[in-house]
Amino acid sequence: MSTFVAFILAIASSMLIDNVVLSRFYGICPFLGVSKKVKSSLGMGLAVVFVITIATLICWPLYRLLELAHIEFMDTVAYILVIASLVQLVGLFIKKFSPSLYKSLGIYLPLITTNCAVLGVVQSNTDQGLSFLNSLANGLGTSIGFLLVIVIFSCIRVRLESANVPKAFKGLPIALIIAAIMAIAFMGLQGLFTGIKL
Amino acid sequence: MEILYAVLILLGLGLILGLGLAIAAKVLYVKEDERIDEVAKKLPNYNCGSCGYAGCRSLAEAIIKGEEENLRKCKPGKEDSNFKPIIEYLDQHPNEDGTKVKVHL
Repeated sequence: MSTFVAFILAIASSMLIDNVVLSRFYGICPFLGVSKKVKSSLGMGLAVVFVITIATLICWPLYRLLELAHIEFMDTVAYILVIASLVQLVGLFIKKFSPSLYKSLGIYLPLITTNCAVLGVVQSNTDQGLSFLNSLANGLGTSIGFLLVIVIFSCIRVRLESANVPKAFKGLPIALIIAAIMAIAFMGLQGLFTGIKL
Repeated sequence: MEILYAVLILLGLGLILGLGLAIAAKVLYVKEDERIDEVAKKLPNYNCGSCGYAGCRSLAEAIIKGEEENLRKCKPGKEDSNFKPIIEYLDQHPNEDGTKVKVHL
């Protein structure tokens, strides 16, 4: 298998099979908080894609540097520093070019810093000792998976607004049930392909 | 020795990222009404959210834009130390077209 094909397969694998939101319950806070409108969920998803991808790109060489100095125990602290700065950058960027999106994302934008999907991906790359290409594929796949799931979820929630839902389930309860059904649906993709090495 | 390396590397990392952010903040600067900051300064700045906005700055923004007129929405605000200075300030700093920002208690 050529490297390129393996790279694409690794992205698809972490996007669909090991989807962090639905299989590991990472990043639930923005998943439930910003999924009321399709447009803001798309903005949130793209912001997360940017942050995770750049964070994996920076953190892999950074960990090699920490290894060189024998201070691997500082990895989480260093990662958080990188992630927080990236989120600040995204915030400035969105404020400049799309004030309406900035407003609709609200408090959830700076909260990407504490989105466990971001730190989770970077940390698991380190813990599994993945190669640079594999880390990049993992980061891209995970973040695109997050984008995919949050957009699908927001589309369903928009439809739910006009659906005839029992009164007790209106709003968040039915959204949680939908999330559970989505997680079961994504479980069906398990074993699509396995054992990809880069 | 390890601790020294840890301090040096994280210091360097923080310096690079901070510098990058400072440049980005200059490049991506958005010009805003300076009265928003002034009004936000005069609010209690507890960011409690009991006014219904995301924080004191959001309330200040709404006041300047004319979306919010009732200062009493701010529950922890005191008349003498918060509201009166704001009314006074907005009296002296009207909108560009000469009309005053409408606020009341």
